[in-house]
Amino acid sequence: MKAITANRLLDGEVVFWKAGQWVDAFGDAQLFDHDDAAVEAAVATGKGQPTVVVDVYPIDLTPSEGHWAPVSYRERIRALGPTNEPTHGKQAEGGEAIDALRHAAGAARSTGRVDLIRRK
Amino acid sequence: MYQYDAIDREFLVDRSNEFRGQVQRRLAGELTEDQFKPLRLMNGLYLQLHAYMLRVAIPYGSLNAAQVRRLAWIARTYDKGYGHMTTRQNIQFNWVKLKDAPDILDALAQVDLHAIQTSGNCIRNTTSDPYAGATAEEVDDPRVWCEVIRQWSTLHPEFSYLPRKFKIAVTASARDRTAAKVHDIGLMLRRARDGSLGFEEIVGGGQGRTPHVGPTIKEHLPVGRLLSYLEAVLRVYNRHGRRDNIYKARIKILVAALGAEEFGRQVEEEWAKIDAARADLPDTELARIRGAFASTPFETLPAVSEAFEAARVASPALQRFVRNNLKPHKKPGYAIVEISLKAQGQTPGDVTADQLDVAADLAERYGLNDVRVTHAQNLVLPHVKLDDLPAVHAALAAAGLATANIDLASDIIACPGLDYCALANARAIGVAQDIAAKFADEDRAETVGELKIKISGCINACGHHHVAHIGILGVDKKGEEFYQLSLGGSGAEDASIGKILGPALPADKVAGAIDTLVEAYLGLRTGEERFLDTYRRVGLEPFKEAVYVQAD
Repeated sequence: MKAITANRLLDGEVVFWKAGQWVDAFGDAQLFDHDDAAVEAAVATGKGQPTVVVDVYPIDLTPSEGHWAPVSYRERIRALGPTNEPTHGKQAEGGEAIDALRHAAGAARSTGRVDLIRRK
Repeated sequence: MYQYDAIDREFLVDRSNEFRGQVQRRLAGELTEDQFKPLRLMNGLYLQLHAYMLRVAIPYGSLNAAQVRRLAWIARTYDKGYGHMTTRQNIQFNWVKLKDAPDILDALAQVDLHAIQTSGNCIRNTTSDPYAGATAEEVDDPRVWCEVIRQWSTLHPEFSYLPRKFKIAVTASARDRTAAKVHDIGLMLRRARDGSLGFEEIVGGGQGRTPHVGPTIKEHLPVGRLLSYLEAVLRVYNRHGRRDNIYKARIKILVAALGAEEFGRQVEEEWAKIDAARADLPDTELARIRGAFASTPFETLPAVSEAFEAARVASPALQRFVRNNLKPHKKPGYAIVEISLKAQGQTPGDVTADQLDVAADLAERYGLNDVRVTHAQNLVLPHVKLDDLPAVHAALAAAGLATANIDLASDIIACPGLDYCALANARAIGVAQDIAAKFADEDRAETVGELKIKISGCINACGHHHVAHIGILGVDKKGEEFYQLSLGGSGAEDASIGKILGPALPADKVAGAIDTLVEAYLGLRTGEERFLDTYRRVGLEPFKEAVYVQAD
C-alpha cells in the first residue's frame, strides 16, 4: 500500500494526495493498493503543480491498529509532528488515525525520499 | 555594542524588499523551486520536515534587549511561541510560513537583525566568545574583530559562491569557548612577548563526516593585517577547493590534501600579491569600530557584595547556581551569569517567547542591556552586579531559567534531529532528555562534574558529537534509529576528536549506557580529574568493557 506526500509551497505544511487534491491529514490520504501506474500518474500530476507543492514523492505504508501508517519512521514524524512537542503539528488533533500512527512499529527507510535525494 | 548606521539599515531594508519580490515571483510561478531555493537559503530560509525554518544570525552571539524582545515577538506571532538556539550562535524558528518570511525579515531589520550569512556557500556568521568584554582572560575584545569580519564578509562578491560554506571563530581568551579549532578558520588572539597583538591562524578544522582539528598555519599574524590574510586564505580555497564532490568541498579537505605547510606556503604567496593598502582595514575605521565596544558603563564597586554574600548563605538554590552558572568578571563587583536552556524535560536550546522577554527585562534592568548566546545553546548575561544577583536569580527561577547545570552532564548540546530536520537520520532531542533525566539529581550531577555530552542526528554533526567528552551520533540502520557513542572529544583549547566506543546502540539503551560510562568514570577517576582527563589517562578500553559487557 502507498500514499503520496509533499510539502505545500505557501507554508511548508506536510500534505497528502487525495483524488486530485492535497489534504493536511494522513488519515484522509488516498491509498494506492499495488497500482503503480496510478501512483506514477498522481506523482506526475503533483510535480506539475510547482506553485502548489514541492518535493512530491510516494511513501510505503504498513498496517497499524486497523489503519495504515507509513513504514518509515521519518514519514510518521512528518505525518504527526515533532515527538518532543506532542501539541505541535498534525498530532494535536488526536483521534484514532493519529493513535494508529503513533503506535505503528514498521521500520524502513523512506524509499520515496531516498529517490528524491538521489535525483538532486 | 556596535550600532548600525543609516547605510547598514538601508541595506537591510533593500535586502528584505528584494526577498519579498523573489517570494512573490516564486508564488506566481515565475521562479522554479530550483531557481528559488538558493535565493531563500541566502536569506536563512530552509524547508524542513513540517514547515519552513528561518535561521536568524546573532553576529558574534551578541544581542540587546530590544532585539531579544523582537525575537520573542516573532516567536509568538509567526512560530508556536518558541525559538531554538543553535550551536553556532544563531536562532531558528521552526514553524515559519513562506508567505510570512518577508514580513519577518522586515521586523528583524527594524532592530538591526537579519538572516544573511546563515546559509549558503558563503562566509557564515562569525562565532565568538560569549564572555567577550566581560572576562579578565581576554587579551583584547574579540567582538571588535568579529565586527570587522562581518562588515568585510557580508555579501563579499568574491566569496559568495565558495566551494562550500565557510565558518570563522574568533577568541581572545586562552580558554576557548568558540570551538575555534574545529572551524574552517579559528582565530586566537594572542599578545606576543613584545606586547604586540596577533592572531594564531588555525585553518582547516571541521566536523561533519571527516572531522579535523585544524592545524596552525601562522603563529602570529599582526592584527592590522587580518583582512588581507583572510583574503589570501579564501582565495587559495576558492581556487583549489573541490567543487566536484560536496563531501570533499570544505577547506579542511584541501588543507589535509596539501598538508598544512604547503597550504600555508600558498597562502603566503597569495598574500604577498595583495595590495595591503587596499585590503587591510584603515586604522581610522578600526578605531571607529573599537569605539563601539569601549563604552560599557561599568561602575566602580567593591569586590565583595555583602547583600549577595548574605543571600547565598541563606539560599542553597542560589549557592548551587553560583557554583555552576556564575563566572568571574573582569570588573570588581560584577559577575558573568550563564542562563541554562537545559532544564529537565526541556528541548535543549529551546526558549519560549516569555523567557526571552524575561532575559530582555533582566538585561535592561540589571545587565547593561547585553545578552549573549553560546554555541552550547545557552544564554549569558555578561555584566551583572553581585548586589543584583539575588534578584536576577529569583527572576530567572520564576521563569524556569535558573537550572544550575552549566557544563554538567545535563547541559547537553543536541541538534533538532529527525523531529524537525530534513537531513537527520535519527532523533536527538528525546535522547538528550532521557540522558538529562539520569542526572536530575543535582547533587549527583555536581559530583560527576564537568561532562560535555553532545548529540547529532546525522553525520553533518551540527550537535558537535565529534568534540564531545561523550559524543552521540544518530544513525539509520534499516530504518531504525541507532546511536553510536564516542569518547574523548573536546571542542575547547585542548581540542580532540572522539573515538568510537563500539557498535551502535538502540535508542532505549543510550541513556543507560551513558549512566554506565559515568559510573565507570567515578570508579576510575583520581583527584580532581574531569571525565575527559580520566579518559585521556586510561583510554577507551575500561569504558568499552563497562558498556558492552553489561549489554551482553
